[in-house]
Amino acid sequence: MERAVLKLAEPPMSGGEEPVVPAPQAATAAAEASPPMRWFLTRAVRWFALHRQQLRTLLIGAISLALFLLSWHLLTKYRVSFHVRFVNVPSPAQVFESFTRAVDDVKFMQHVLLSCRRILFGFIMAAVVAIPLGLVMGRFRLIRDIVFPVSEVLRPIPAIAWVPMSIMLWPSNEESIVFITFLGSFFPILLNTLHGMAAVDPVLVRASQCLGAREISIFKDVYFPASLPSIFTGLTVGMGVAWVSLIAAEMISGQFGIGYFTWEAYSLVQYADIALGMICIGVLGLGSSAAIRGIGRLVMPWGRA
Amino acid sequence: MEQHSGRTFVAALAFATSMLWGSAASAQTTIKIGIGTQDTTTNTVTTGVVIRQLKLFEKYLPTGGKYANSKFELEWNNFTSGPPVTNGMMANKLQFGAMGDYPLIVNGFTFQSNPESKSRLIAVAAYNQYGSGNGLVVHKDSPYYELSDLKGKLVSVPFGSAAHGMVLKALQDRGWPADYFQLVSQSPEVGSTNLQEKKIDAHADFVPFAELLPFRGFARKIFDGVETNQPTWHGVVVRTDFAEKYPEVVVAYIKAVIEANAWFRADPKAASEKIQEWTGINKEVVYIFLGPGGNMITDPTIKPFLVEDAVEDAKVLQRLGRMKEFDVAKWVDDSYVRKAYADLNLDYDAQLKKIENYEVKGEDKFCNKPVTDPRKAGEVWVDGEGIMPFSSTACTLGAYAQFKSASKKINMAYVFDTARGIKLFADQAFYAIGSDKKDISPFLLKKDAEALAAKNGGKVVGFDEALKMAVSGG
Repeated sequence: MERAVLKLAEPPMSGGEEPVVPAPQAATAAAEASPPMRWFLTRAVRWFALHRQQLRTLLIGAISLALFLLSWHLLTKYRVSFHVRFVNVPSPAQVFESFTRAVDDVKFMQHVLLSCRRILFGFIMAAVVAIPLGLVMGRFRLIRDIVFPVSEVLRPIPAIAWVPMSIMLWPSNEESIVFITFLGSFFPILLNTLHGMAAVDPVLVRASQCLGAREISIFKDVYFPASLPSIFTGLTVGMGVAWVSLIAAEMISGQFGIGYFTWEAYSLVQYADIALGMICIGVLGLGSSAAIRGIGRLVMPWGRA
Repeated sequence: MEQHSGRTFVAALAFATSMLWGSAASAQTTIKIGIGTQDTTTNTVTTGVVIRQLKLFEKYLPTGGKYANSKFELEWNNFTSGPPVTNGMMANKLQFGAMGDYPLIVNGFTFQSNPESKSRLIAVAAYNQYGSGNGLVVHKDSPYYELSDLKGKLVSVPFGSAAHGMVLKALQDRGWPADYFQLVSQSPEVGSTNLQEKKIDAHADFVPFAELLPFRGFARKIFDGVETNQPTWHGVVVRTDFAEKYPEVVVAYIKAVIEANAWFRADPKAASEKIQEWTGINKEVVYIFLGPGGNMITDPTIKPFLVEDAVEDAKVLQRLGRMKEFDVAKWVDDSYVRKAYADLNLDYDAQLKKIENYEVKGEDKFCNKPVTDPRKAGEVWVDGEGIMPFSSTACTLGAYAQFKSASKKINMAYVFDTARGIKLFADQAFYAIGSDKKDISPFLLKKDAEALAAKNGGKVVGFDEALKMAVSGG
């Protein structure tokens, strides 16, 4: 019975690369234990078998991060100087010390929260504007021809170059900051949506037209679901770029935000705090991209993302 | 086929030549010298862009002795503030760096944890013993005229800069709490744009922004560093590993600084024009800082009162929790500047004691008398004709009006603050007019002008009205 359940559970697990080896042995071990214990063990074994692949990924991830930390530690400890110089790079211990100091500080949490809010606003606005625009551009050649040249000219401009313009464009600084993070997310989302639209199989469109679907239904039931995977790729990339533009954006703020924290540390030449800010941005970026991917899985149960 | 072999031959030849050239060059040792400058920070120009453009460093670099087989490679890097210079020095991309008093201390402190090298203060670029140079500006349309008007308002300043120090000192002097203003950190570029767009109520900054922004026409200075009565200065630091290995090069650099200073004073007008060409800072602004009676004194000697000021600055940074222990005395090293003075047959100790600027002098052609009291005098810069001195404010304004009626293009007129002796743009000043309408006293601050007017029953007017009075009264 148990084995049957395991067998059933196997296929959706993960492409089924290897058979589950430890399960039968564990199951017999469980059979000898008392009933509640046995129930618990069975559950544990099943959970383990189900999540084997994820656990493996997690473990490898942890090892790779640990190796990164270790090499960082060693490089800075022995102040390695072999063309690339680690002589004055802060060590993990120094950064951790900055971190413990920062955690006690209410201000630091404020920095983090404000940055998250700015990214969220900028990102949501970018998604709200870029996805429909990309869909429309993908469907109507004329609109694409009008918008595409402008967006291609604006796209390569680095966030930091937008700082003075952004200050002048918007009435408040908070809006200027959100605008720069908006720009960061906007173009990846737009381009990926466009790409998704281009990849939609024209046979599907023609078929739905033959079946009498109107434009609105074609959009809703054919184009949109078909380009959704691309859109989510765009959202994930866009979220990443929003964080990339954070320091440039928060140079304007002058008092809050993790980007500002890093910038201020630079103006006082505090290397450990600079590294702390960098890591913080990295971790927050990782978390938000993971969140987008999670939402993607919920929205597209058929997808492989 | 023919073509192919020909190409191979050329390539081989090129390779052989490059090998030859390479081995010939390697017989010489190349000494790379990176210098971090702040070209837009006008009071450091004689330690940076002037030396670079006039090739003065090259002129003094040692050639004989242990340098017989050396080739120097100068690399000039320009930044808008001190921290990137410190960063470049820490990474050993720069060996020399010029920056303001607070960034200098941060530089010295940061180097304490560098195992390869420390940094040493080897010369002063320019100073003002009373703290003029830093200033606080507001938008010209704003209703703020003094610091107390800014209570609870949004004030930005580049944190860790000399101007930040000025703001902290001003708060401390008045016994105001640290949150009297809503103080935020903005770089000069960001702060300037924000002030222009009225996003902030005031912006405090270092040289040349407190003069440059009013000059550009959208700002008004309401606080000058002079009111803190604490010196402000810029200086040059060097990496000790470099300085110990090549002390002659460090001395050569300081000689170049001495010559650059002399070059400016020899012809301030032409020099200001050149610096405008090199840095983009308007010549009228350069002149108010480095010209005669200007707000900055260029002098490489390391004066004891500047060292004392550095100790104070270090304490401020410690109180803010930005820094731990820092030994200022150990960080200052005047041996190189002394050597440079000795080599040039100049008296270092005499210069060390001198705390004075060169002054406005010459013959006043409007009132027909010589300039006797330079800090009551004035100057008018007529485009194409030069800068003319005038013996008093009334004479300056009178001459200005005359030039104007002759429809000559006037670049700028300068007068001196009656109370504090700092040089002012005439069109930005407040004028206290005596009751007899003859006595015209210019002031930076409206409140100073009002105080004098109240005392002698006169009134306070702006530039245009003062100009009219000067004509009718004179």
